[in-house]
Order: sequence, then C-alpha cells, then structure tokens
Amino acid sequence: MYTLDFALQILANGIVIGSVYVLVALGLTLIFGILGIVNFAHGEFYMLGAYFGITAAAIYGLSLFPLLLVGILGVVLVGLLSERLVFRPLAGGDMTSSIITSFGLAVALQNAALIAFGPQPKLLRTPWAQIPVEIGPVFMPLQRALIPVIALVLVVAVHVVLRHTWTGRSLRAMAQHGTLAQLYGVDVKRVAVVTFAVGAALAGGAGVLMSSVFLVQPTVGNMIALKAFTVVILGGMGNVYGAVSAGLFLGIAETFVAGYLTNTLRDIVGFALVVVVLLIRPQGLFGRAIDRA
Amino acid sequence: MRRLGALLAALVAGAAGAAAEPARIGIMLPLSGGSSIAGQEVLSGVKLALEEANAKGGLFGAPIQVFTEDDEASPTKATTAVRKLIEGDKVCAIVGTYVSGVALAAMKISRDYKVPMSSGGSTAVMVTDANEPGNPWFFRAFPGSDVQGRQSAVDTVEVLKKKKVAIIHDNSNYGTSLADVFKQIVLGAKGEVVAVDTYNTGEQDFSPILTKLRALRPEAVYIGGLVGEGATIVRQAAEVGLRTQFIGSGSMMTDKFIELTGPAAEGFAVSSMFEPDTPNPVGKAFAERYKAKYGINANVHSALGYDSMSITIEATRRAGKCEGPAIRDTLATRMADFPLVQGPPGTTAKYDAKGGVDFLIGLAVVKNGKRSLVTY
Repeated sequence: MYTLDFALQILANGIVIGSVYVLVALGLTLIFGILGIVNFAHGEFYMLGAYFGITAAAIYGLSLFPLLLVGILGVVLVGLLSERLVFRPLAGGDMTSSIITSFGLAVALQNAALIAFGPQPKLLRTPWAQIPVEIGPVFMPLQRALIPVIALVLVVAVHVVLRHTWTGRSLRAMAQHGTLAQLYGVDVKRVAVVTFAVGAALAGGAGVLMSSVFLVQPTVGNMIALKAFTVVILGGMGNVYGAVSAGLFLGIAETFVAGYLTNTLRDIVGFALVVVVLLIRPQGLFGRAIDRA
Repeated sequence: MRRLGALLAALVAGAAGAAAEPARIGIMLPLSGGSSIAGQEVLSGVKLALEEANAKGGLFGAPIQVFTEDDEASPTKATTAVRKLIEGDKVCAIVGTYVSGVALAAMKISRDYKVPMSSGGSTAVMVTDANEPGNPWFFRAFPGSDVQGRQSAVDTVEVLKKKKVAIIHDNSNYGTSLADVFKQIVLGAKGEVVAVDTYNTGEQDFSPILTKLRALRPEAVYIGGLVGEGATIVRQAAEVGLRTQFIGSGSMMTDKFIELTGPAAEGFAVSSMFEPDTPNPVGKAFAERYKAKYGINANVHSALGYDSMSITIEATRRAGKCEGPAIRDTLATRMADFPLVQGPPGTTAKYDAKGGVDFLIGLAVVKNGKRSLVTY
C-alpha cells in the first residue's frame, strides 16, 4: 500500500493544501511585517472570498477566472474598508489594540456572513471539477490541479511588485524601518492601503480557489487563520519567502501525517512544529534574529 | 363599591387559576454552530407536533407552553441549559438533544431533578446505556447506534453483497459506536475490514485517507459521521478516483447530502429510519402535513423531532399532570400503543428497559439524484 505512487499522490495533495496556506499566510505576514498589525480577521477575508465566488457563480454562472476576479475585488474592497474604518484609527497605538480589534472584526464579519449567506454549508461547482488530470501516478481533477498553478502566479506577481516597483520599495522600506522610511518621504497611508489590498486579494483568491474543494461556512476562516499563523511563525514573522516555504512545508507535512499515520493527528502537526520552533529557533525557520535596541 | 371590586378581582383570578395551568415543556437542541443544520430540522418537526397539539386544545384546557434553549452542540452549554429549563422555566419534560455526547451530559442532570428527556436525535448507545436498566429517564424513540450499525453491516454484506470493506468514522461517541458495531458484524459474517480511519468533526480534507483506500481497493466503505463530512468524503472520493460503494450512517439521510455531494452521490446507500415515501401510513401522513407547512420534504431529523415531541405531549396528557415522575412512569410503561412516524408500518413507542425503541431500519440508495428504499 505505501508505495512510491502513494507517496507521490500524497505529496501532490499536500502541495495543493500548502499553496492555499501560502496565499493566506503571505497576506498575513505582509500586513504584520509592514504595518505591525496582527490581523486575526484574515481568515474572514478568505471566507468572504469563497462566498463572493459562490454567489457570483450562482447569479452569473461565470467560469473560474472571472470568479477569481470577482472574489479578489470583493475582498479587496472589504480589506480597504477594514483598513480605513478599523485599523487606521488605531495606527501608532499598541500592537495589542490591533489584536483585540481584529478579533472583533472577525466576529463581526462571521456574523455578517451568517446573516447574508445563512448557516448551511455551500460549495462552488464548476465543470472543471469533473475533468480528471493524470500525471504519472498522480490523479486529481483539473479544478484542484489549477490551485498550485494559480497560487504560483499570484506569488510571483507579489514578488515582482515587491522587488521591481517603487510601490514595492516603499513597502520594503516601511518593513525595514518605519520612521526612517517616513523621513525619506514614504507615504505611510498609501503603504497601509496597498498592503491591505494585496493581503486581502491573496486571501480572497485562496478562498475562491478552495470553495470548490472544501465546504464553505461562516466559521471556515477560523481554522485557516490558525494555519496561516502557524505558517507565519514557522517562516519568521514578516518574512515573505519564509511564509512561502513554510506554507508548502506545512501542507505537505499535514497530508503525510494524515496518509501514513491518522487523519485525527493532522491538525496537531502544525502546532507541535510551532512549539518546537519557538523553543529552538524563536526567529522562525527562515527568519533572522535581530537585536532590539 | 370597593368590596365589589375586590370580589370581582378574586373571581377573575380564581377562574384564570383553574382554567390556565399550562403544561410547560422544554426543548433543547443545537440551533447554532456546527450541528445547527440537523438541530433546526429536528426543531421543525417538534414545532409541527406542538402546533397540531395546540390546535386540538393543548393540554389540560390550555395551550402548551414551550421553552427553547440552544445548546450549541456543547456539553458545557447543555448542562447550563438543562438547569435553566428545569429550575427557571419549571418544565416537567424535555425534548432534546441532537449530539450524543451532549445528551449524555444533560441526561445526568435532568435525571437528578427527576425530569424525563426524549432524544432529539442522539443515537450513540452509550446514552441509553447510562440509564439504569428498568428505570430509564432518557428515552429514544428510535434504535440506537448498536442496532443501526448492525443493520448497516448486515445490509452491506447481504443486500449489497460486499465483503471487503473499509470504515471511516468521526471520533465522536456517535461515529465511534457505529463503527465498532459495524466492524464486529462484518468480521462475524466472514467479511474483511481492510482499514479503519478516524477524523475530527469539522475535517475538510479527506484526500489522504481516500488515496490510501484507493490503493486498498475495498468493495465498500462505511461512513459513520455527520452529513457535512459524509458529503465531503463521497465527493472527494470521486476526485481522487476512488470508485466504491459508500454506505452512510443515518445522519446522511437528508436531501442536503445529495445537494452537497452532487453527481458523486449516485449509488450512495444510507441506513434509513424514515423516508417521505415511507410505507408507514402514519409516517406518510406526517410527511404530507410537513410538506404542506414548510414546502420541503420531511427527513429523518424532522420525523424524530415530531415523534419525540408528540410522545412527550401524549405522555403528559395520560399522566394527567405536568410532573416529571408521573410523565416518566407513563413513558416507560404506557406508551406501547402510540404510533410513530418513523420505522416500518405499525411501529409504536414501545420503550425497552433501557429507554430505546427497536424497529427495523431500512436501506435507501440514491438513484438519479433521489433516495429510494431498497429494503425494509
């Protein structure tokens, strides 16, 4: 039973789950690294993306790519509103106030979704879920196989923006040293807006992608947010490339535990890793230790 | 003048006291959270039974008063809710709850207060096993997980002719107790159990388990769990290319399952205690009234909710007073003639020593997007 073919199939499943962790964690780590905000409502961005996609599919019968666009734009709007109405008034304050506030925002968004979309689980159906893709011994529907591909495109896009545009430079400058960046003329408000838009877009996109694989309920953001926090801690808080590696790593580790040991242990894997990493390498697997003055 | 007024007031108060001593019945179900789909369905059956009883004049000449608590499928919430119903609302009987582990926590408290409970869907046999034999305070108007798991296993081996099986179940009391019995019976019938896998309730990704099963090639896979996870398992099985006969536990006997599973539901078999087109005439009449009221088909949850509530009301009427011990005695000994909407024709609320009702459980198979009964 535990053949190489089996391991490859498990690996492929792990990459699919892992790419979703990457997308959600990337936004979380950007918002933390650049703005110093711990956003516990990030899982709700994912949840809303899924609902926007499902609703658009039900009304307009769009195919996956337009749905992705609808989900991303819808969640970007929610992200910008959250930034403007909830997080901006708290700017400059204590980090704990953003933690408490984002918890409140998460509860508000969950209940809004409960009222708007109801408690019954929903699922996105596209014709692509029926088309099988076989690569050697690995088998999955086209819908699933596309998830890592689209995730890769989004990650590369974020990389290009961060590395090769002036907007990206201002974001990185803020992440390195907020006060200094401001002295050099970086517009802090603009950076906050862009960061929230990018973070929300990634989470919303992940939500649309997964809404055909996982059932969507108003509380579905809780677990994904916990997983994303795990990834962010493993990858080093604020470390973009660490989040990408750690996200894939967590997804693959979980599916291997579920496949070779038992499914009941899968959710423990990430948290056990976090405890170990915090004990041995508190700066994260890919983080650098910094001395605080 | 003043004296006349006082006399009048006393008369009015006296009349009101004599006529309106309404029976107080408590309802406790998971109305929000993870099990709320089922909880709301059970409640819809409870409400229909209440409405019909009140239309016939209620109990003791007054409409029945109900007090509803949401236990959120949490044992902690349930223990508070039961105390509130009994101490605060002074109910003399309780209908509820859905989740077995929660029912187990609640029934111990209600027994201490001497208030009988009628299950709102809890199937795990350990709840009725917690009753003192011959002295039950918790009643379940349908078979427990032991009977259901056994029947599903027998149907798998004898009706579906599958002997090489795998089992996937959630790690709740409900899923575990079903899976244990299922496994024993299949092994006893010289069948083979190639894998037993557990998952946490709320799990979303089953592809690792299903990939493993694909390599083991079982002829049939039994799922002991709730509707959401069951639907996800069957759908994801098609996605990983696992083609096999799935058999689900009773909670998957709803149209919601077919809706969430889509085309992959075709051929899915499920143990069935109630179908809208049941051969049981009492059940069929209930299904028609339910459809007329709600516009949707009744299912196992609304049927058992209806049964538990009607039994509780009727037992209170026969007891002649809204007092826990009297209702308990009536439930335990004097309800064997009361017809149920669940089960085959002629099923009645004949409780056994442990507070359960035993009847034959059918098997329904999904064909062209609809369930139809194969055996009864």
